[in-house]
Amino acid sequence: MAQQMLDVFQVIADPSRRQMLLLLSENSLSINSLAGHFDMSRPAVSKHIKVLEHAGFISIADIGRERHCTLQRQGFDAIQEWLSFFDKFWISKLKNLENLLNQKTKN
Amino acid sequence: MPTEINHVVYFQQSPEQVWEYITNSELIELWLMKNTMKPVLGYQFQFKMRPLPELKMDGIVYCTIMELEPFKKLTYSWKCGPGDGKLTLDSMVYWTLEPSDKGTALHLRHTGFNETEHLTLFGLMDKGWLQNMQKIVEFIKTPAHGATNA
Repeated sequence: MAQQMLDVFQVIADPSRRQMLLLLSENSLSINSLAGHFDMSRPAVSKHIKVLEHAGFISIADIGRERHCTLQRQGFDAIQEWLSFFDKFWISKLKNLENLLNQKTKN
Repeated sequence: MPTEINHVVYFQQSPEQVWEYITNSELIELWLMKNTMKPVLGYQFQFKMRPLPELKMDGIVYCTIMELEPFKKLTYSWKCGPGDGKLTLDSMVYWTLEPSDKGTALHLRHTGFNETEHLTLFGLMDKGWLQNMQKIVEFIKTPAHGATNA
């Protein structure tokens, strides 16, 4: 199945995924022990974990025979990307306005 | 980490003249973007920019005029997202004009980039939910034989 691209809000909108993030905010956990917290099939848990990984909320590392999930900042940093984009945006637009009004003064 | 954008620009023109450039649709287009702005309290309008695939943004900014004090203050909401009515950025733009001896100081403040605000929206920080979750986590962590008579 093709991995659907979800935005951060869609990723977080799901209660099971929120619960997973909360569990992982306390501790890194293996997929098996994470699955133990949920009343759903192992493939269903894996699917949610994949969604979280794609969105940058968690990373997965193989330790021995277990796959371990760790919380990542990247998903939360998407908000910060908006800020840095619009900061540059406004600087350039305000420069336009300055040029426009300065020109008007000269004329 | 900064959570808001602040810029001040100084102009030789009077606040009345600068005001025109932040409220008149045609004048705004000259320096900012195509728009449907009207300086009316509660008025809903849009800005159109190029789409930003890297931010999953379709290029439309949805705004509502929240505060309007001619020649002094203009506030509008600033929302955008990937399309289909989904809005991933819910922010506010505040314009303030102050007369100075040489003309006008125009202050721009753009807020709503606060991580905790968004976490609140996500529901992660929802207090009741969080407390319940912690109870469940505590309960699960406690060994079965120690769970009673604590």
